[in-house]
Amino acid sequence: MSLSTAEPFSAGDIAPDGIDSGTSILLVGDDSDALESVFYRLVAAEEDERSVVLATDDGGRSVRRALDRQVRGARSRSSVLAATGATGEGVEPISDLADLTKLGMSYSMLLSESQQETARFRSGIFLCSSICEAVDDVRSVYRLLNSNFLSELRRGEGIGVCALDTSSDIGASVQSVVAGMKTSFGVCIEVEATGRREATLTVSGLAGVDETLTVSI
Amino acid sequence: MSRTILCVDNADRVSSVAAAIDAEETFEAVEATTVEAARTALDERAVVCVVTGYELDDGSGLEIARAIRETAPQTPCVLFTDVSPGAIDTASFEEVLLEYINRDLPDARDRLTYVVDDVINHSAQVGFLKPDDEEERLDALASYDIDELPIQESFDRLTDLIASHFGTAIAFIGLVEAEAEDIVACHGGDWDRLTREDTICTHSMLQEDVMVVEDIREDKRFSENPHLSNLGIRSYAGANMTTPDGHVIGQVCLIDDVVRTYDAEERRELQQFAETAMEVLELRQSVLESRAAPAEVGQ
Repeated sequence: MSLSTAEPFSAGDIAPDGIDSGTSILLVGDDSDALESVFYRLVAAEEDERSVVLATDDGGRSVRRALDRQVRGARSRSSVLAATGATGEGVEPISDLADLTKLGMSYSMLLSESQQETARFRSGIFLCSSICEAVDDVRSVYRLLNSNFLSELRRGEGIGVCALDTSSDIGASVQSVVAGMKTSFGVCIEVEATGRREATLTVSGLAGVDETLTVSI
Repeated sequence: MSRTILCVDNADRVSSVAAAIDAEETFEAVEATTVEAARTALDERAVVCVVTGYELDDGSGLEIARAIRETAPQTPCVLFTDVSPGAIDTASFEEVLLEYINRDLPDARDRLTYVVDDVINHSAQVGFLKPDDEEERLDALASYDIDELPIQESFDRLTDLIASHFGTAIAFIGLVEAEAEDIVACHGGDWDRLTREDTICTHSMLQEDVMVVEDIREDKRFSENPHLSNLGIRSYAGANMTTPDGHVIGQVCLIDDVVRTYDAEERRELQQFAETAMEVLELRQSVLESRAAPAEVGQ
């Protein structure tokens, strides 16, 4: 295992020059549908990659279908840890969203297994705000992010997207939590739905990308 | 300099784990085959990381992780096992987040040494977020000869003034190091040093503007933190001490034992106090360096 000078990860019109390996992306907004659309666009695996998704609110099959809608065949290149819905091929269950010890271990195992197939990965948590809601102590979530999410990006050839719904009641000031998380993530994308099929993204930390851009969702 | 790694596993497995660790020249493996022996080793030695199997004769690897959380919470722990996460009993334990490595993977040994090195170098299991300029920030803090600077009286006067101005029980100036916050001056409390994971300043320093927590009992970042409640903290306001290069090295803070709000003017004033504290530090450092300069030239 070693850090590599990997090819950037494609990200369509969000980042025309691609996203560098090792990049952590914080995705925030108050419209979960718009967030979801941008999330899957970033996390869907291309042919030489795999996706590892921790899904708090959607079933694993639904997640795999959403990935496939973004990149044909991405479903078969994905591993999902899902808190709801049925288990099945490529889908592992989360029995208790507040059990971050098991959650972290399961996430690490899926990621290391995916790296046995291909080194390149796109990892994601949708939604981190739901984990914050489930736990009593938000410091546990920070520990999860440090131990399992951000560290894997440092060690491997991948990008990671952590989505946070700012309309959630996470038991703490969302603005303050987001302000803190922004400084630990390399990139922050704020998603604002501006129409039924359109969103404005405010991007910081991504080289070669306009600060604001409009995308279809 | 070698770093001591405690390797815990059954008698028939522990040697192979220790051998994998010893293969990395900067690591020195110490073996233990039971939870009890591991506890003893943690008490007797300075261990920088623990690698443990799951199934032990007198307990499980999660008990090791719990012991670490109780005695040396900053020490990272790696669970190196062929037991899948689904088969691991986590229900009996409060959160003991650790690294998980499946030892059945073809690259498990390489992964183990790589991960151990990484968790040590990056303090990767802490319960707080670090700013992305953490290394530069710590370098900036280290550039001030805090122990040599005659800042104590100035800071004591400043915290007295701040507490009086806002009418709070406590006002303090803290410098945020890698693992702890050093309380340089404190009006109303006898605080010296707080683990970074337990301080509100750890969060406040990540915000550009003044951070206010009107009631820590209503904020899940702090409400479950017994250290804060033991200190009688109910409300908080903190402003950044920022170096001329833009690195946040410390905080000027207000603490009260009652729920409090701070309006925009009060937040602006607290920020001004933080800037004043930073100026005191800068000026004292400049004086120290200018006094040292002629002596160096003369040598």
